[in-house]
Amino acid sequence: MASSKENYRVELRAAARQLGDRCLYSAAKWAAELLVGIEPDAAPSQSAAMDTPSSSSAAAGGRLLHLHRSGGSSFRRRSRLGGAGAEVGTPLGGVSYVSTPIPDDDPFDAGADKYLLAKAYFDCREYRRAAHVLRDQVGRKAVFLRSYALYMAGEKRKEEETIELEGSLGKSNVVNQELVALERELSTHRRTGSIDSFGLYLYGIVLRDKGCEGLARTVLVESVNSYPWNWCAWLEIQSLCTSSDILNNLNLKNHWMKDFFIASAHLELKMHEEALKRYERLLGIFRCSDYIQAQIATVQYSMRDLDEADMIFEELLRTDPFRVDSMDIYSNLLYAKESLTALSFLAHRVFLTDKYRPESCCIIANYYSLKGQHEKSVLYFQRALKLNRKYLSAWTLMGHEFVELKNTPAAIDAYRRAVDINPRDYRAWYGLGQIYEMMGMPFYALYYFRKSSLLQPNDSRLWIAMAQCYESDPLQMIEEAIKCYERAANSDDTEGIALHQLAKLHSMLGQSEEAAFYYKKDLERMEVEEMQGQNFVEALLFLAKHCKTIGRFDEAEHYCTRLLDYTGPEKETAKSILQGLKQAQSGFPSMDIDHFAL
Amino acid sequence: MNVFAGVGAGAKEGGPARGGGGVLLELTPHKMALCHLVQVFAPSGQQAQAGPPFPFESVAHHNRLGLFLFSLTRSCEDFLEPPLDELLRQLKAVDDLANGWLCDQLTTTLTGLNSPDDLFNFFDKLRGVLTSPDGANVEDEFLDPNSQLGVFLRCCILAFNSMTFEGVCHLLANLVVYCSSADTSYDLAEDEDFNSEMEMSDLMDADIGVSAGMFDKYSQGYATESHMGESSSSLIHAPTTLHNFDEANIFKADDNPTCLRSRWQLEAYLNQQADILEKDPSSVPLNSFNATMTQLQTLAPELHRVQFLQYLNAVSHDDYVASLDNLHRYFDYSAGMQGLFSRSLSQFQDVIVGKYESALLCLGNLHCHFGHPKKALEAFTEAVRVSQMNNDDSCLAYILGAISNLLSKIGISNAVGIIGSPYSLGNNIGLGTPLSIQQQLLVLLKRSLKRADMLKLTSLLSFNHISLAKFNLKHVQRPLVSFGPNASTKLRTCPADVFKNLRLSSHVLSDFGTDGLSTSNDNGSFSTSWLRNLSAASSSWCSSSTKSRKLLTNDFDNFHFHAQPSPIPTSVLQLAGSTYLMRATAWEHYGSAPMVRMNALVYATCFADAASSSELSLAYVKLIQQQAVFKGYSAAFCALKLTEEKFPSSTNSNIQLLRMQLLHERALHRGHLRVAQQICDEFGVLSSSVSGVDIELKTEASLRRARTLLAAKQFSQAAIVAHTLFSTCYKYNMQVENASVLLLLAEIHKKSDNAVLGLPYALASQSFCKSFNLDLLEASATLTLAELWLALGPSHVKRALSLVYQSLPMILGHGGLELRARAQIVLAKCHLTDPEFTVSEDPCAVLDPLNQAAEDLQVLEYHEMAAEAYYLKAMTYNHLGKEVEREEAAACFKEHVTALENPHNEDVSLAY
Repeated sequence: MASSKENYRVELRAAARQLGDRCLYSAAKWAAELLVGIEPDAAPSQSAAMDTPSSSSAAAGGRLLHLHRSGGSSFRRRSRLGGAGAEVGTPLGGVSYVSTPIPDDDPFDAGADKYLLAKAYFDCREYRRAAHVLRDQVGRKAVFLRSYALYMAGEKRKEEETIELEGSLGKSNVVNQELVALERELSTHRRTGSIDSFGLYLYGIVLRDKGCEGLARTVLVESVNSYPWNWCAWLEIQSLCTSSDILNNLNLKNHWMKDFFIASAHLELKMHEEALKRYERLLGIFRCSDYIQAQIATVQYSMRDLDEADMIFEELLRTDPFRVDSMDIYSNLLYAKESLTALSFLAHRVFLTDKYRPESCCIIANYYSLKGQHEKSVLYFQRALKLNRKYLSAWTLMGHEFVELKNTPAAIDAYRRAVDINPRDYRAWYGLGQIYEMMGMPFYALYYFRKSSLLQPNDSRLWIAMAQCYESDPLQMIEEAIKCYERAANSDDTEGIALHQLAKLHSMLGQSEEAAFYYKKDLERMEVEEMQGQNFVEALLFLAKHCKTIGRFDEAEHYCTRLLDYTGPEKETAKSILQGLKQAQSGFPSMDIDHFAL
Repeated sequence: MNVFAGVGAGAKEGGPARGGGGVLLELTPHKMALCHLVQVFAPSGQQAQAGPPFPFESVAHHNRLGLFLFSLTRSCEDFLEPPLDELLRQLKAVDDLANGWLCDQLTTTLTGLNSPDDLFNFFDKLRGVLTSPDGANVEDEFLDPNSQLGVFLRCCILAFNSMTFEGVCHLLANLVVYCSSADTSYDLAEDEDFNSEMEMSDLMDADIGVSAGMFDKYSQGYATESHMGESSSSLIHAPTTLHNFDEANIFKADDNPTCLRSRWQLEAYLNQQADILEKDPSSVPLNSFNATMTQLQTLAPELHRVQFLQYLNAVSHDDYVASLDNLHRYFDYSAGMQGLFSRSLSQFQDVIVGKYESALLCLGNLHCHFGHPKKALEAFTEAVRVSQMNNDDSCLAYILGAISNLLSKIGISNAVGIIGSPYSLGNNIGLGTPLSIQQQLLVLLKRSLKRADMLKLTSLLSFNHISLAKFNLKHVQRPLVSFGPNASTKLRTCPADVFKNLRLSSHVLSDFGTDGLSTSNDNGSFSTSWLRNLSAASSSWCSSSTKSRKLLTNDFDNFHFHAQPSPIPTSVLQLAGSTYLMRATAWEHYGSAPMVRMNALVYATCFADAASSSELSLAYVKLIQQQAVFKGYSAAFCALKLTEEKFPSSTNSNIQLLRMQLLHERALHRGHLRVAQQICDEFGVLSSSVSGVDIELKTEASLRRARTLLAAKQFSQAAIVAHTLFSTCYKYNMQVENASVLLLLAEIHKKSDNAVLGLPYALASQSFCKSFNLDLLEASATLTLAELWLALGPSHVKRALSLVYQSLPMILGHGGLELRARAQIVLAKCHLTDPEFTVSEDPCAVLDPLNQAAEDLQVLEYHEMAAEAYYLKAMTYNHLGKEVEREEAAACFKEHVTALENPHNEDVSLAY
């Protein structure tokens, strides 16, 4: 076990170095983070266990990083004792991985110094200078860095031009000017076989930017198959996998990095269960990885398991107080839990860390929204969108804010942009439907609800919304409404709206058999959840009357007696029904039950 | 339908409002080239001197350049600005006298701009054009700053002045690309070798020949695959096909900076595309048009009207899902007026664009188009509710018009209660009894008419008048309240009402100015067609050959080149044209052949430019039908062939139906029953509900089926089919069709020798015809009645004869060949069966009609009846003892009978 961990470490160490050497910073960062996230070997872990009581207290701030981290890890182990703890000894998931040899770097002869200079320039964001220094180099590493520097220079220029060229008709489509030349060069290299996996990665990005998605996918898969530790390449593949079919048809080598990829892709495709399972398995090795913890928290948030997710995020922030990644999700969670203080604390923290990150703006906007200051909230969402125009959730959330501000056109616009960025965003479709329904256009809204329920067929809320449209006064399409409620009832309707409505609609249509069926189910549900209220009384009353009419007097009596526990007019009705029952059963003229009772 | 009518006004008002923060006009290399040309056109500091300024040889020459520049600033044939070589080519055509001096000068000036400072100087110099020199007189020529060109120049200067340094750098970079893209393809200007006049003109010929080729591609119109929507791509790739570029130069052509035209031009371009989509959707390929639109959208993401065009495109190609998506997307973005970040403050609101109720109106129309009446009605009801909520009266008027259109278009049986909405009509009348669909329709129409009149929506008013005319044509108006025997109810349609409505409808031609919908008439199409014609016209001057003139197949372009643009907007012309088409239809019902022909001809000649292909083909169909009835099939098929060249029958359903109708009639007449059956089956396929329900097509299919069965002497089956058809027509309140079905039933009984049974049907048909004023059909019913009486025996001859005489004036005046021949034969038969009539006394009374009938039937190839005519003739001659003539007639009789009984080569019947 220890040796396999050591293998991971060796691989990741080399990868972090190689990636950093090629200026692929975020991939290097990811690898390094993961390297630190591997569970320490037996000896230090034991010492950490001894430290646990003190380190989990708030006073642990001044400790050494090493101790602090391991303290966190033991906390985590406690929190998820079941699955992960048992799997420590077994190899990950029982599958055998293909081991990929770590490639050696090009031996430098003359170019090494120039490469050093170029890298220094690159680090200073002087991309064109870096490319210029390497202009005559032929080594693979040098070719990659030169191309990469050119690409970055083009990207930087593109960003600038987008702002410069914004006209009255919106932004014109500025393209990275270097793409054509880069594509030509890299495709030649690929043909002649003189390209390494980093070059393939760059080639893939270039192809994606040019719109050749199919080829881009192939090239990127080639890249990760030969060098699996480049997380950025995996992320690119993920962004190109818009459906699970594409995902399943990828021809990937079974490296352990693939597990990370598949899990993340599942999360993106909303296959939460699968993602969670995979992450928990990975946690067996990378016990201290913040990344995996954040992903698990995200999954749990998506599965509406708020408390669990909250705990993980809190822990994450403790170990890594300057983290901004995926903190926007944490803020969404805090918003959902309505914990103002925690949200304000988080907002303050990220604001001090880096206020010009879209995530930071989003967090602040969430805070204002929770405070009810929707105008300020919109302002910060707009700032987030200025920083990243394709920031999907910000568009949707801003739509919600505009709804609060009663600015329907703006809300529609915001939702629509979210939908156009990602047509699979069911929340925005749902938001659009809601707005139109609010505007008194239920027929028009149906289109949007249909879209959203198509994307999320197991979400009862969407079906209920659609049913309410059908049921609304202007449309009165009861049968369609019943169909929708049936779907909702079949897909885990926690609030029980569907059952109740189904019963009501059926009784409205005079189909008392069906109505009784649904009332009974609703009754059972309410009994399980120990809920009582008007719906409960209504169900009892209907069932009592229904059973009486079809001649099942025992049941009717049962329901009536239960009704007697409640105050209100129903009680009187129940009494009279009971009287009627007695009459019918015995054939005797009514004996005064009340007298007996007294 | 001019979707964005009023855009001009909108843009004018919207522009300055936006100008506060944004840019009025985006400066591009092409615009700089224009600026330079304007400078040449109106040089600064010009002292009073005789004649035009330097490079121009005559005033006409000078004016030509002015007109060219004007057109360039207004034309809208594409959304991208043309590359330099395109501009130079056009310029050459204008400037054929100065030996390309202008081109030379333009390229040298533009290539001479190498640094930002050069640009500053360039625009500095431009300013001089606008200021009149010191001491200038009023008569002196200088550019009026308020003219089109003056405003253009001022906008450019303003745009440059408000430009950031980054912007200047971009402009410079674009300028370099712009010039270099021309260098490779156009090196004439700099080339020193072409000094001799001869070579020069040769080259120009070649060049112009090429552009003439380009023009031909346009002038072939929309029928060819080079459709205008693709013009941008064809523009970009045009040089490659013209000049045999090698690969490197293709790259160059692609490098042309993609500069959008001005907002006004873009909107005009979109309007134009919408018009084309409406006129002839089959000429617009679905995917390539979408690709063009997507390209435009990536270039101008805030120009949401592009999505509306995509919606129109999807609708016209019957792509339900895409049209629904695009519709929702468009209105999501634009119903709240404009995009989120560039919300304009202008108060101008289009009638069609910009509100949620119009979204619902469009949605309803979409469902109506795809044949979902229930959904359409839901959408319309919601639209009514929302527009009432928002106090949008004009939209409400339109919605009412749309609902009545839906009701009249789609056969909704009386049994179905459709309008169960809050906007229920029954309650408003206060009678308590529910109204029939027809009554609801009438009430709706009248209400919409009143609103349109109040709100001065002339187009809608005209449309409603046409709808009312249509309604009056087919429905008897019963008073809604009639009490007791005193209320006189005249159960007839009222032709005077129909024509009054039609006349009122054509008032739109004079009143359109008041309607907000039809205010803008200068939509740039004049400038566009001027530019297009430029190359063609110039080629005919230079090479002095009329070859290219002949190639101008489209008269419309020619017309536009020489004359002023039509002052009447297309949508108005369409409405006015529809009244003529409607008149033709009305006369068809009332039975006046010359009036049908006249009105259809008026439509086909005067309104062809504005008409959509389906309406134009309908006019043609009417003309050809008349041809078939009055001149026989060979003439009709000749005309059909010509028409099919214009409208391929595979794409135009009207023509396709006409072809099948003609073939079926001819097969029935010739006695080719198998062919007739085959065509009947085809009708059945067309009328199947797979592609929406068309109740009229359905009736026609079963009517033809019954007639085929009748011809095959399957009387009982034919009667069954006719009975079912009658009940369908009755159910859907199609009274006019009822009359002809009843007549057919009478005919069936007549043929099956059940004259007594036939009589009531004929009488019923006659009375239907009377109440709907179907005069010709009535005459035909009277004739059938006469035949039936005649079949009952000689004792009824007198009655039959008087009936025939009664119908003869109408039949001889307006009837077709078949009807006339039938009448003649019946007349002769009456005489022959009349016991008081002896042939020898008055042979002409029998022979004249028979001769006439035989002649007509020969043309029609109607063997069965021709045989009858000849048989009667032979018998008559036999009586008279004229043996030669008898033999002749008998031979003809035999000929027709054999042709009928042994139908050889039936396949001929399918060809024409």
